[in-house]
Amino acid sequence: MQIGKVHSWKKVIAQLFLLALPTIALAFYLLWNVNQYYAVLRNEWFVQGWYFAAGIITAIIFYSYRFRFVTTAALLFLLYFIAYKLLGRITVGEFDAFFVSVQFLIFTFLFSTAWIAGYGFSRSRYFTIFWSVFLLAMQIIVVSKMVDITAARLILAFAPVLVYCFYIIYTAELIRNMNEDEQGVAWFITKRLAGFLLLAGLVLLSLLLIFQKDFKAIETDWGGVNGKSNNDKGGKESMTKENRDGSISNKDQTRLTSSLSKDKRLVFVAKLDNYFTDGKTPNPLYFTSTYYTRFDTLTQTFETDDKMPYNDLFAPNPSRIPLYFAKSDSTVIKNTNAPLNRKVVTADVYKVILSPDEFIAPSTAFFCQPIPVENEYKSLYKSAYKAKMWVSDLNSAYFIYNPAGNQQLSDFQQVRFEKLRGAGSYDGLDKKFIDYFTFMPHDAEYNRIRDLALEITKDAKTEVDKMIAIRDYFLGKDEFGQPLFKYSDNPGIPGLPSANKLNYFLFENRKGYCAYYAGATLFLLRALGIPSRIAAGFLTVDRSSKNPGWYWFYADQAHAWVQLYFPGYGWIDFDTTVPDANTQQSPQPDGTPPMNTQKAYLVADGTALTVDTIAKRVTMKVNKVLYHDQNFPATTPPEVLLDVSVATVTKDTGAAKLSDIKKGTNIVAVSYAEIFKDRTPEPTDSFGSILKKIPVPAPIDEIKIMETEQEKKQKSSLASSVSKPVDWVRLLWISLAIIGGFVVVLFSLPWLIWQYLNAKAKTSADPRNKAYNIYNAGMYYLNQLGMPRDNKSPTQYANETDNRFGTSFAGFSNVYQKLKYSKVPLTPAEENLVREFYPGFITAIKARVPFKTRVSRFLNIYNTLHYFTKPKLT
Amino acid sequence: MEQEIQIDQALTNIQRLVDNIETVIKGKRTQIQFILTALLAKGHILMEDNPGTGKTVMAKTLAQSIAGRTQDGGVNFKRIQFTPDLLPMDLIGSHIFDDVKKEFIFKKGPLFCNVLLADEINRASPKVQSALLECMAEHQITMGDSTYKLEQLFFTIATQNPVEMEGTYPLPAAQLDRFFIKIIFGYVDEETELSIYNNYLGIADNLEHIHQVLSMEEILFLQSQTEKVFIHEEIVKAVRNIVWDTRRHPDIVLGASTRSGITFLKCLKAFALVNGRTFVTEDDVQLITPAVLDHRLIFRNRDAKAKGLNAILDKEMDRLGKMKITA
Repeated sequence: MQIGKVHSWKKVIAQLFLLALPTIALAFYLLWNVNQYYAVLRNEWFVQGWYFAAGIITAIIFYSYRFRFVTTAALLFLLYFIAYKLLGRITVGEFDAFFVSVQFLIFTFLFSTAWIAGYGFSRSRYFTIFWSVFLLAMQIIVVSKMVDITAARLILAFAPVLVYCFYIIYTAELIRNMNEDEQGVAWFITKRLAGFLLLAGLVLLSLLLIFQKDFKAIETDWGGVNGKSNNDKGGKESMTKENRDGSISNKDQTRLTSSLSKDKRLVFVAKLDNYFTDGKTPNPLYFTSTYYTRFDTLTQTFETDDKMPYNDLFAPNPSRIPLYFAKSDSTVIKNTNAPLNRKVVTADVYKVILSPDEFIAPSTAFFCQPIPVENEYKSLYKSAYKAKMWVSDLNSAYFIYNPAGNQQLSDFQQVRFEKLRGAGSYDGLDKKFIDYFTFMPHDAEYNRIRDLALEITKDAKTEVDKMIAIRDYFLGKDEFGQPLFKYSDNPGIPGLPSANKLNYFLFENRKGYCAYYAGATLFLLRALGIPSRIAAGFLTVDRSSKNPGWYWFYADQAHAWVQLYFPGYGWIDFDTTVPDANTQQSPQPDGTPPMNTQKAYLVADGTALTVDTIAKRVTMKVNKVLYHDQNFPATTPPEVLLDVSVATVTKDTGAAKLSDIKKGTNIVAVSYAEIFKDRTPEPTDSFGSILKKIPVPAPIDEIKIMETEQEKKQKSSLASSVSKPVDWVRLLWISLAIIGGFVVVLFSLPWLIWQYLNAKAKTSADPRNKAYNIYNAGMYYLNQLGMPRDNKSPTQYANETDNRFGTSFAGFSNVYQKLKYSKVPLTPAEENLVREFYPGFITAIKARVPFKTRVSRFLNIYNTLHYFTKPKLT
Repeated sequence: MEQEIQIDQALTNIQRLVDNIETVIKGKRTQIQFILTALLAKGHILMEDNPGTGKTVMAKTLAQSIAGRTQDGGVNFKRIQFTPDLLPMDLIGSHIFDDVKKEFIFKKGPLFCNVLLADEINRASPKVQSALLECMAEHQITMGDSTYKLEQLFFTIATQNPVEMEGTYPLPAAQLDRFFIKIIFGYVDEETELSIYNNYLGIADNLEHIHQVLSMEEILFLQSQTEKVFIHEEIVKAVRNIVWDTRRHPDIVLGASTRSGITFLKCLKAFALVNGRTFVTEDDVQLITPAVLDHRLIFRNRDAKAKGLNAILDKEMDRLGKMKITA
């Protein structure tokens, strides 16, 4: 049997390359995207992409022959059914069967979608429009799954689909109209595609311009780094996030994903004045950046929450505080509600690649004072601050593990557990507080965790014993003597539908990194009604016996652990992450600590007025002065001349030059000059009398340039664009605006084309061109109003128009034909007709067609399409 | 200028002829134009439709308009009613024995005329039909050893009933090709039909008294003027494209020949002149293409017959319509 072909092989090849290939590429991208949000897909986007590709290619080739859709689709589904039944036979075991059938369903869905798409591309003219709408709808659903919506993500999500939609509608029509017998088909298509790309570029550009405000943040984001943010790609998750300037901060959310990337770069160095009761053994503490108190069950993400009750998070921005000036907040101490076994501890933090904006300190910090870095260390340490914390004696980086071999630590553990056993019950606490910190969702998944928690802790009486039981559970061994839980940076992802990742971790995989352990512990604790939260920051390793109290922090020390609340004792750190058996922590060479020995006698905060880089003189308007550690705010800011010949100039980002100081720059001037040593302030001194103690010019050793307002704004807008929580209304508006812009451009196209033709018809002077432009504009206008010429001859068409609109088109048409096809010159009367005809013609038509009708006809884009579509032979 | 067409005179002549015919044939202006086109292009015309639509009357009217009864300068008009038992010699003529001269002499048949009305041509056997072939194409008749030239003006108006009707022999493709134009005569519109009923006596009377309006010389003159009609390069290209498209169209089994193309050009020129122009325009292409090409093509199926040529024409007309004016 000979089966006729619908398309020539040339057309099929064009369809495969110009329609199928971009569609497959987009499918890969979308599947990759979707895989990030749906666990059931098991992150096998690559294979799934090939399913799709197979479907569309087969369908295009198949339907280039004269097959009917309904019968062939029925056959296809019959095949599916048989394959499904066969699969059911050959698979062994319930799990296998379920797994295979889910995979098969995914395959079936993708292949069928691709098959229908292939059929549509091959046979149906208007399919591309439905297809585009379908893809956009899909994309909206996917976007709604996004956790942190940023403009960049939005663009990444919508731009490819939008460009594709433009492309596919255009190209499908182009291929439909291609005349494969003509010479130079390839050139024709290349030409048209180039034209399309130009047009698509223009449309996108105009969209970008319209929504410039929303996209600006991304443009700067893209402008800066290209490769650096790649850490986030490929399902990799990092405990820290990389900022635009290459510095790093802790992330505001920690999502559970398949793998954790770490590196060995030095992040910061800290001196912590925390010692055990003997007063000389350093007691290291984990450095906290932020707390995750909420778990979003929808996105499987731990979140920070500004509104947590009894907020004890002190999060100043050290780069905003002038050198030596301090910011403190005593409400956090009150909010810890922990009077027992607490003391004030100080820490000096020297930042290497930690972001200048970041504040990180152990336990409950309440004080932050930026301090300068000694000259010789300035190349390594960009900035530094001193922090004070309200720290519990019972807290320690030696939380639970490794007391073995160290009697002192072992004793300490015992003492601390004993104390905590004696902590009172939670009854007296604010119910709001308890409810918030013991919240966990109620469904089968979480009830399973509840059951496990009860099972593990059935012998434990007190909260701390329950905690120890949980710790022991994670450290336990299975029936073969192998560790039950393992540490892994690449734990993989759950393979069963709707299984949440924590359950997968707890009951199936039992491999994970700190976020998994912390998250699982959190729910085990909350299941038992113990208020708990996750702390994120850096774990502390005591490596240096040379410099007691100094700790070095590398990027792979970024960490998450849990904190338990004990009445009276407050939040206490516990770490349940099991040791990593495979990779030994490589010994990191600790450098010399950046000691700061000098005493600052004078610190002045203000703005620069004049800068003389040759004479090394700066005048500044002083707002406040710190003199011998006493604060003197200025009533009327005076101008002070500074001698900066020996001064070093710094910024948050490192060393700077004197010429970086401009008029109006916010600066802090520091003097260590001996001259001030004996001029101590009297209790009666005021700002004015302090100024008199300062010589003119004042000798200055250090100048720090504070960020200008503009830089701050830029940074804050950038930060907010990166980490602002999802604003669904805004997202909806942006989505609607993008789609609306697309629709407006699309529907105004007929009118814009008309404006162009109209202008050409009106303005051209040369009679030949004028006649042509008039005829063209007239034909377009009539076509758009629903009177296409189609198979009428010019004279028939003109007569019909005249009958309908009372115009005199026929006369013009005759002259036009004469001009076009004869050598006989036009008579003056005819020339006159060409000149005068057009305005009256359009006016006459407008008079007959009501405005409303004209508007509605001009919205009909198919009329336009029809006008520019070349008729086809078949 | 020599090449200049004496357009005024040509137009007056054509107008006189049309007016004259229209005294009898009502509401058939397009068909009249087509017939004149075939006449001016030195071709022949085939009219097809059901019996009773006025084909024969049309042919007779035209013939009589140029073939005056007085024979003074008028053309010689013959009519043959084709029947299944008609023999070639009934058309061509035959040798008969001259008793006086004792030799065979050639007795010329009805083909030796200026205007031939071949009525119901498809009712004759193929043998007779092909006898027409030579004389239509070559304007000569070969009988045995001797060849007889036909008149300088030889115009065949053939009518046929639709092929589907009983008792018809379909015309061979080669013969169909000889007809420059084939038109479907069609029914007149309702109003015209009513006026015909109201006045059929008068119309019949008009047919009786139709008189010659053009002489033979005038017709030959018109034919010579037709050759001088200007045809734009792009129109020639359009003709080429249309002809080519009939050959590459998947639903057309037999496309148009090169001779068809030349015929096409001739018809275009004639049609332009009939429409009072000295140059060919898009209108001419649009209106005349089906009449010139449709009967030369063999389509795969009925559907293709209905759409094929229109699609080709639409494609070419779209090109011409949006084409810029070239110098």
